[in-house]
Amino acid sequence: MPPAVATGLAIDAREVTKTFRSGWLRRRETAALRGVSLAVERGAIFGLLGPNGAGKTTLLSILATLLVPDGGVARVLGLDVARDANALRRRLNMASGRPSFLWSLRVDEIIAFYGRLYGLSGRRLRRRVDALIEQYELGSHRRAQYSELSTGLKQRVALAKALVNDPELLFLDEPTLGLDPDVSVRVRRHIADLRREQGMTIVLTTHYMREADELCDEIGFIKGGRILAHGTPDALKRQIGLGDVVALRLEPRPAWLGEMSGVLRCTEADGWIECTVDDAEKRVPELLRALLAEGVEIRNLQVREPELEEVFVELAR
Amino acid sequence: MNWRAELLAAWAVVVRNALMGMRNVFFFFELLFWPIVGVLSIGLMTRFLGLTAEQASFVLVGTLALSVINVCQLEVAYAMLLDVWSKSVKHQFMAPIGVRHLTTGAWLVGMVRGFVIFVLLSALGAWAFDFHVLAPGVGPAAVFLFGCFLTAWIVGVAVCALITLFGSRAEAFAWASVNLVLVLAGIYYPVSVLPGPVAVVAEAIPLTYFLDAYRAHFGFPSAFPAPITTGLLLSAVYAVLAHWAFRAAVERARQTGLLLKMSE
Ligand SMILES: Nc1ncnc2c1ncn2[C@@H]1O[C@H](COP(=O)(O)OP(=O)(O)O)[C@@H](O)[C@H]1O
Ligand SMILES: [Mg+2]
Repeated sequence: MPPAVATGLAIDAREVTKTFRSGWLRRRETAALRGVSLAVERGAIFGLLGPNGAGKTTLLSILATLLVPDGGVARVLGLDVARDANALRRRLNMASGRPSFLWSLRVDEIIAFYGRLYGLSGRRLRRRVDALIEQYELGSHRRAQYSELSTGLKQRVALAKALVNDPELLFLDEPTLGLDPDVSVRVRRHIADLRREQGMTIVLTTHYMREADELCDEIGFIKGGRILAHGTPDALKRQIGLGDVVALRLEPRPAWLGEMSGVLRCTEADGWIECTVDDAEKRVPELLRALLAEGVEIRNLQVREPELEEVFVELAR
Repeated sequence: MNWRAELLAAWAVVVRNALMGMRNVFFFFELLFWPIVGVLSIGLMTRFLGLTAEQASFVLVGTLALSVINVCQLEVAYAMLLDVWSKSVKHQFMAPIGVRHLTTGAWLVGMVRGFVIFVLLSALGAWAFDFHVLAPGVGPAAVFLFGCFLTAWIVGVAVCALITLFGSRAEAFAWASVNLVLVLAGIYYPVSVLPGPVAVVAEAIPLTYFLDAYRAHFGFPSAFPAPITTGLLLSAVYAVLAHWAFRAAVERARQTGLLLKMSE
């Protein structure tokens, strides 16, 4: 393996493996990561997308120095996660979608506690706490105890805590888990702002396709501890060869649609027939000609790109 | 070493533990209830048994030590326990700090609590049982108190190591550990009454020496040549060992994933 040289990469992980071992008498082994390689550019938003148990949290934890890998090399911000852990810790932070903090501390006390752990004190600490409380609109809850906060507020506290050291690299583990849709939208907008305004590199995990599609410059699909595919959302859609989706409302429904050349498959739902074709520009005119020739009435027609959800279903097979 | 950062990280833990301590009724109860019950019941027992003033002092010194150590060591254990209970363990180990910051910060709070207990119980002992902690002078009393704090630190850090190694199932150690000290270090009797092999263990415990040195002022001649120095040296060795164990436990938890398990 070539040595990892200093590059513009925020994350350069190669063949990272991790197996969890548990149980004293009957030992159980879970291979959480089976050789994951990953490169994330500085200033990018990278999305790790995958079902539950895929290994997303495990990978994030290794990159955040909370977990030591069994094998492979991981360099984060140019530092080795195993050897330079303490230097690295200053420069990154993490928030997870199911946050928990000390139950009877108040919002400002939680942020201040972690601020001090990262070396802030006196006026600098107070200014930072105030700024984060304002930024996350926690002002009216400043003196509320953590256990009294709603899920959405707890999430905001977690984000504020994760930014207390002004990290160069931010890990977000399912940041919109269990949030109301309107709150999720705001969180996503905020994540995009963080990168745009501060050039922060962000690695987030999610199992919402839309979130990854909307936010991320690059996506890695992870399942069973392996990255099955990665690339920009558009490239992924192409790479998997899913083609375009042609949705039609027809009267009557012809039986031969699925057999036309270039049509990969057809499904039917709510009166719409959805045909996945290799190339819309070529196949749509052919389809229309064939339908007209057969005297089929075309009531509606839409052509769209595949959603990541479909890419994902394809990969997860 | 950057002293400012060192102190700041320990101070963060001081503030956190102090705030948690002040807000939780249960913690407050711990601070007052058991120690007072202890001194009252032991003091009354010395009366019932018709012990001499010296003998009563001997036993009450033991109760005092036990209460102070218990309160202080529990606070040190809270350095881990609070985060285990609130499932926020990963956050403090994601930050650029070491176990020393956790243990010293929590120990400072523990010493304040221990001192409050010490003053309170001393007053109670003087008022109810004519037992005067300052009779030997401020110096010996201060050394004795500090010896208790050192013992508490070591026990507390060891408990932190066990919790980090075994997870929250090990939290029982936080309450059980003090009873082990009670039996071995001769809280209620001179260690000379212990059977041979156990006496050897007792002589390996720093508290044994601090109790011995302090009790010498209450008419029980010291059984050891230089008890205070021995106690301090032993404490230093154990403090280093306990910290090494805690550190190793954290590293192991980073391997096994327990650090994550304790955060979900
Ligand atoms: N701390 C741990 N101890 C033991 N097994 C774990 C631990 N964390 C995760 N696992 C196992 O590793 C696999 C991957 O988990 P995880 O990384 O949490 O997946 P995801 O975040 O994608 O849902 C799962 O099978 C999970 O049960
Ligand atoms: Mg997860």
